[in-house]
Amino acid sequence: MLRFLIRRSLGAVVILLIISAVTFFLFYAVPRDPAMLACGKNCTPDALEVIHRNLGLDKPVPQQYWEFMSGIVTGRDFAQGPCPAPCFGYSFANSDPVWGTIVDRFPTTVSLTVGGAVVFLAIGLGAGMIAAHKKGTLLDKAFSTGSLVLSSMQIYFIGPLVLALVVYNLELLDQPQYVPLTEDPAGWFMGLLIPWCVVQIIFTANYTRLARSSMIEQLQEDHVRTARAKGMSGRTVFFRYAWRGSLIPIVTIFGVDLGSLFGGAMITEWTFSLPGLGTLAVDSVQNTDLPMVMGVMLFAATFIILFNIIVDAVYAFIDPRVRLS
Amino acid sequence: MRASLAAVAAGALILTGCSSGGGGDDGGSSDEKAKQQGEEVSYTFGNAKQSTGPAGDLDKNATKGGTIKVLQRDSFAHLDPAQIYVSDEGSLATLIHRGLTTYKKVGDDDYRVVGDLATDSGKKSDGGKTWTYTLKDGVKWEDGSEITSEDIRHTFERQFADFIAEGPVFLQQWLAGENGTGYRKLLPGGPYKGKHLPDDVLETPDDKTIVFHFKKPQPELPYALAMAGYAAVQKDGDTKEKYDKKPVVSGPYKIASFKSGKSMKLVRNKEWDPKTDAARNQYPDAFDIQFGVSFEDSTKRLMSDAGENQTAVSFSNQVDASSMDQVRTDKKVKDRSVEGYQSYVGVINLNMSRLKDKKVRQAIAYALPAQSLISAFGGAGGGKPAGNYYSPTLVGHKPSDPFNKISKPQGDLKKAKQLLDESGKKGMKLTFAYQNAPEWQNFSVAAADNLKKVGFDVQRKDIIADTYYDQIGKVKNKYDMYHSSWGADWPSGSTVIPPLYDGRQIQDGASNYSHYDNAETNKEIDRISQISNPNKAADEWMKLADKILKEDTPQVPLMYYKAVQLHGSKIGGVYFDEQLHDLMPHKLYVKK
Repeated sequence: MLRFLIRRSLGAVVILLIISAVTFFLFYAVPRDPAMLACGKNCTPDALEVIHRNLGLDKPVPQQYWEFMSGIVTGRDFAQGPCPAPCFGYSFANSDPVWGTIVDRFPTTVSLTVGGAVVFLAIGLGAGMIAAHKKGTLLDKAFSTGSLVLSSMQIYFIGPLVLALVVYNLELLDQPQYVPLTEDPAGWFMGLLIPWCVVQIIFTANYTRLARSSMIEQLQEDHVRTARAKGMSGRTVFFRYAWRGSLIPIVTIFGVDLGSLFGGAMITEWTFSLPGLGTLAVDSVQNTDLPMVMGVMLFAATFIILFNIIVDAVYAFIDPRVRLS
Repeated sequence: MRASLAAVAAGALILTGCSSGGGGDDGGSSDEKAKQQGEEVSYTFGNAKQSTGPAGDLDKNATKGGTIKVLQRDSFAHLDPAQIYVSDEGSLATLIHRGLTTYKKVGDDDYRVVGDLATDSGKKSDGGKTWTYTLKDGVKWEDGSEITSEDIRHTFERQFADFIAEGPVFLQQWLAGENGTGYRKLLPGGPYKGKHLPDDVLETPDDKTIVFHFKKPQPELPYALAMAGYAAVQKDGDTKEKYDKKPVVSGPYKIASFKSGKSMKLVRNKEWDPKTDAARNQYPDAFDIQFGVSFEDSTKRLMSDAGENQTAVSFSNQVDASSMDQVRTDKKVKDRSVEGYQSYVGVINLNMSRLKDKKVRQAIAYALPAQSLISAFGGAGGGKPAGNYYSPTLVGHKPSDPFNKISKPQGDLKKAKQLLDESGKKGMKLTFAYQNAPEWQNFSVAAADNLKKVGFDVQRKDIIADTYYDQIGKVKNKYDMYHSSWGADWPSGSTVIPPLYDGRQIQDGASNYSHYDNAETNKEIDRISQISNPNKAADEWMKLADKILKEDTPQVPLMYYKAVQLHGSKIGGVYFDEQLHDLMPHKLYVKK
């Protein structure tokens, strides 16, 4: 196991280096000068030169890349102040420290992701299992059709609809907002209730369909049939044999989904004006804010890779036939 | 009716004040005269009496207390006044920063530039080359210390440091007598190495007095000093780059917390004395500002008027174009809206390097449909057809319509066709570049349709919005026509005509997007810039703008931008500020 983790971690570092290099150098392929944003209305080439110098954009691109990457490990000094490791520099757009901003935005994204995941896993897997158990019945058809309809919906459509109904017209709930859990647990829960319910709709539909098909497949496996032939109860066969086996594809998809959501649920955050990593990513791309783009990109990529490693490790626990090699 | 609408109806905005500012009269008379003459809006330079606080109540029902929720799309990138140039931050600055002068709303349609930290709007001498300001008694920083002339000296000297690169540069250039960034040579690096501006540039003979010495007359200095970019910075509290995150403030509110991109909380500044402030009020206990709220979201929230949205407002978010009709027709919502002109004029630049035939340019000017652009921006709430280059918010504006943009807002195709036929260029290819924003995409279809009917072969070129101004800002761009908009820094043609039509400023990234260069125009710009009487200068700028349009047509005027903004039902004191192009934050209050 240890060898597996070391090997995968080294691989992850290589992948992150490749992502960082691709992102950094692609940034300079975009025909847009980030200094223009700061240059104002009466911009002149010599004014641009001053801003280039202030932002460190006057140096050769490879040197900028090296300074950026080495700063992550060793820290750097900026005019705005010292930037201890992991240092991603300061935002071009507003001089905010990149790492501090990411750390500040992350709790919103985590809250949205974890809360949403609890809802979509509980409802999605539950509905999928029931549908598989009642295969061919009216209930199965209702769940299957319902999940198909919901998976066709989009958050940018459902979100405003729910807001218009629940918040603006019926006034059942307040405007969604992020309140830190540590400050006000009730406010945190109520503020995120609508986003959780909306983000789970898409995922619940997917997990219902996935759980149903995976379960049906497992129920037809030889070892499940053998267990039934041995006279085991339906409940034991369902949960001890079929359920465990059906989890492998679900865990795989869940790992990828969770990693992506931790990197920022852009549409959900934007729809509900939640200040998470998703909105930060969109803003930083719009502002041609290289340090922020790099920071968010590497942070999100780290989560996606990390969850992939965790998923691979979890396989071994779920299915003894899988060996970590 | 909002001030700006009335202004346009009357067709005039004039500067009626005496440029010597701070003169001996008791104030108000010039405004009254303007009213009697039928002028709807006036700008005056206020004297000592007019610059004395308290500001008084524009709304007699105004009450103190409560918290106002503010919904903003963009976070404030800068808090250091010297780095502030955009209107969002300018709105915030009216609450937290103070400068030597500021704008005061004195009636429905009247504005006055008054002394803010200074006792009046300035005393000029030496033909306008020297301006003297005296600080009021009792003006303090949030830490309780007095604001002195040393702070003001430091405020202007630090503008020469390299890290100050995003704010206005007018004053620095005037002091140095140089255009471009050459002004920095006057005090390289700013005051941080112990060097200071010489007394023949900036004098502070005592704790209260500041004297500016310019190379040329600067009759519009009171306007320039009212910009947020020239608000005061505390010398002892200056932390250079770090000041941008934690400034020392002097306005009626101070920053209790700021989480960039998320939220800001403003609370009362107890060191601010209303007796020293002729312009601002301090009604609510606090402002609770939330960032990241899109125009669509803030519009829906404020239209709903549900829950906490009743005490909500936005300084800068406008009604989004898709909701404009509903806002303007639903009485319940309309009653909670204000609208006014922004200083921006939307134009189509005709690339003079490529479109050298005047008749071709004029054919395009007649053909383009102003109404299609206005419809794309949400109809009458989004803008009004522009007959000329000179915004109704500018002093000296007079209506004119040489290319029938107002009389025939769908385009005068007959006249356009006639001119194109006369030019012998029928079938000529035109490359029309525009941002890939929905408004401009919609307009481009209608514009291309009109131009094709006239006889042009139009190629539409969609450009990513993020890189648009980089692309059209290149002198050697390959487009024949492309849109842009420009807003004045203060209500004078001096901040519009030179940057847009001075041929000596043509270079990559500069704002003369049509590459218009006419020696006679350049000479006129130099002449008008030296006129010391602002009224006369205003008339001359207007005349020059019309001359450029009629005789050379480097741009086609299409739209005077407007803005419609909403507020919750429990918010009072809502006025549109034509200088900020946003709501006026320091008059807002929570209704009991």
